[in-house]
Amino acid sequence: MRNSFFILALRNVFRNKRRTTITFLAIISGMVGLIVFGGFVEYSFWGLRESTIRSELGHIQVYKKGYSEKGITNPSKYLISDFQKLEELLYKIPYVELITARLSFSGLISTGENTLICKGNGVIPEKEARLASFEEIIEGEGLFEEGKEEGVIGCEMQKSLGAKIGDYLTILTTTPSGMMNAVDIKLVGIARSGAKDYDSVFVKLPLSVVQRLSLTTKVEKIVILLDKTEHTEEVAQRLNLLFKEKGLDLELKTWHELAPFYHAVVRLYNGIFRVVKVIIAIIVLFSIANTMTMSIFERVKEIGTLRAIGTKRTGILKLFLWEGFLIGVIGAVLGMITGVLVALGINLCGGIYIPPPPAMTKGYNALILVVPGVLWYSFLSTVVVATISAFYPAMRATRLSIVESLGHN
Amino acid sequence: MPVVSVKEVSKEYKLGKTIVKALQKVSLEVEKGDFVSICGPSGSGKTTLLNIIGCLDKPTEGTVAIIDQAVAGLSDAQLSELRNRSIGFIFQTFNLIPVLTAYENVEYPLWILGKGRKERHKMVLKMLKEVGLLEHKDHKPDELSGGQRQRVAVARALVTMPELVLADEPTANLDSETGGAVLELMRKMNREFSTTFIFSTHDPKIMNYARRIYRLRDGRLINGESEKNNEK
Ligand SMILES: Nc1ncnc2c1ncn2[C@@H]1O[C@H](COP(=O)(O)OP(=O)(O)OP(=O)(O)O)[C@@H](O)[C@H]1O
Ligand SMILES: [Mg+2]
Repeated sequence: MRNSFFILALRNVFRNKRRTTITFLAIISGMVGLIVFGGFVEYSFWGLRESTIRSELGHIQVYKKGYSEKGITNPSKYLISDFQKLEELLYKIPYVELITARLSFSGLISTGENTLICKGNGVIPEKEARLASFEEIIEGEGLFEEGKEEGVIGCEMQKSLGAKIGDYLTILTTTPSGMMNAVDIKLVGIARSGAKDYDSVFVKLPLSVVQRLSLTTKVEKIVILLDKTEHTEEVAQRLNLLFKEKGLDLELKTWHELAPFYHAVVRLYNGIFRVVKVIIAIIVLFSIANTMTMSIFERVKEIGTLRAIGTKRTGILKLFLWEGFLIGVIGAVLGMITGVLVALGINLCGGIYIPPPPAMTKGYNALILVVPGVLWYSFLSTVVVATISAFYPAMRATRLSIVESLGHN
Repeated sequence: MPVVSVKEVSKEYKLGKTIVKALQKVSLEVEKGDFVSICGPSGSGKTTLLNIIGCLDKPTEGTVAIIDQAVAGLSDAQLSELRNRSIGFIFQTFNLIPVLTAYENVEYPLWILGKGRKERHKMVLKMLKEVGLLEHKDHKPDELSGGQRQRVAVARALVTMPELVLADEPTANLDSETGGAVLELMRKMNREFSTTFIFSTHDPKIMNYARRIYRLRDGRLINGESEKNNEK
C-alpha cells in the first residue's frame, strides 16, 4: 500500500530548499563531529592498547602459580624453570606470534662516581627487538646478542649518571639466597619510552646476564605476543586448558588485567565523548525542532485543510513524525558520507598533532579511525534525535483549531 | 430524511469584554439532493454556519445533525471520520495540497478512507474526467489556473461520494466566467450523483444557481422558510 503520509512527508522535506539545506548542514556538522571525534577516540584507544601491549606487556603473560598473589614480595620464589620446553609447547597454539621470557631485578647502577637505583629487566634480545617497537633507541644501538655483557638504559637515567656510550657501568643486586652480586656491563644504547618515570630507572640486559647475576637458570615471566589483539581471550582459554591437561604449575594474565591505566583512559575518554555526544544531540535537536516549527507555522492552513477533509489528529502527528524521521535519515546518510570523507581527508593530511600527554615526553599524530560502531551509533542517534525533535512541534500541529487554521493566511 | 438538520443554533465569540453574536437561533433543514445557497453580506455569519454544519466548529447553543446523526457527542476522531466519509469541502482559496499532484490531491480522501489502490485509481480517474482535468492529472496545483484548481477541489470533495458537499464562497477568488463554470460543474455533480450541495456567496449571479436560497443578516436567517428559486 502506498503510504501517503510518507509521500507527503518526503515531498515536504524538500519543499523549502533553503531551510532544508540549513537543517541538513546542522545534521551534517553534528555527524562529522561525532565521526571525527569518535574516530579520534577509537584511534587513541587502539594506539594506547597496542603500544602498551607491544612495548611491554604482550597479550598474555605466564607465571609460576602464586606469582600474582605473592610474587611481589618475593619474586625469586616464584620462578619458572624449563623455559625452553614450555616455549616449544606454547608455539603450537594458533595465533601465537612470539614467545619471550623475562627476569627482573632491582639494584643499583653506578659509573663509579654516580650511583642510582635501577629496575632491570633481563630479556632475550632478538625477541625483545620485535616486541619493544615502542621504545626508541635515541643513541647507540639496542641489545643484539644474548650472553654479551652489554646493556641499554633509559635516557633520563643516562643524563643523571652522566654516562656515555661505551662506558662501563657496574650493576649490583641481591641474589635470591641473600648474597650480593655484581656485574660490569658496557653501555651500548640509550632508549626513550616516552614515560619519564620509566626512562629514569630502567636498565635492559640480556636474560642470561641477569640469570648469572641472580644465580639462577629460571625466568620470571613468559610474555606471549599474538598476531591480533582480538585473539587474546581465545588463546587465554586454550592456555588454561593446556596447563590443566599437562598438570603445569602455571598461571596467566591477559593484557586487560595488566593494563589498568588503559582502562582508566578508556573510561575518561568515554566520559568526555558522552558529553560531546549530548551537546551535539542537543544542537541537532533544536535545529530540527526549529525547522519543524517554522515549517508547521507556514503550513497552518494546509493542516487545517487536511483536518477538514478527514485527517485525524493521529494522521497529522504521523505526517510530521515522518518528516522528522526522513530529515534524520537523509541528513544522517549525508552526514555519514561527509564524516567519512573528512576523516579520510584528515588522515591523508597526516592526522592531527597531539602534544605530549602528561608524564610523556613526545607528542604524536592522531589519525581518525573510521569504525562501523561509531558510524552506526551516529546514524541511529541522528535518526532518533530527529524523530524526537519533530514530536513536540507535531503535537502542537495536532492541537490547532481547524476553523482558525483555515482562516489563517 | 434531511441530510442536514440545524436547530436553534447560536454561536458567540468573546472578543475581550464584548460578545460577538455570529449566529442567533438559526434553524434550517436541507433535503437530500438539494442545491442550496446561503447568502448574505460580509460578516453575516455564512462561514460560521458552514463550519458548524461541516463539523469543523461547535455551536454555542442548539443542535446539529448530519444524516440523522447528532454531532454533539462525537469525539474528534469520529468527527474526522464523518467529514471524510460523508462531507466534501470546497474552499474559497481552493486549499489544495501544494506538494501533491492533481491526481494525488483527489486521491487523498480515499487514502484516508482506507480504500485499496485499484479502487482509488478507478475513482480518481473517474472524478478527474468528470471535472475535465484528466490531462492535467500530474500537474501540481501551482501549475494550474484558479479555475482548474477549484475543479480539482470539486473532484476531491466528491471522490468519496459524500452525501453532502459544503462550499464556502467557492467563486470568490475566480472571475465571474470561471466562477460560473465551477457552479455549473457543481450542478452537474449534484444531478449526476444526487449529492446535496450547500454553498455560500454574496454574489447575486452565483446565488441564482441555487435551487433554494437562505438569506443571512447579522447572524439571523431573514427568510426562515427559505426561498424557492423558481428559475431553476
Ligand atoms: N474567531 C472569531 N472571533 C471573533 N469573532 C469572529 C470570529 N469568527 C467570526 N467572527 C465574527 O462573527 C461574525 C460572522 O463571521 P463570518 O466569518 O461567519 O461571516 P461571513 O458571512 O463568512 O463573512 P465574509 O463574507 O466576510 O466571509 C463576524 O462579525 C465576525 O467578525
Ligand atoms: Mg466567510
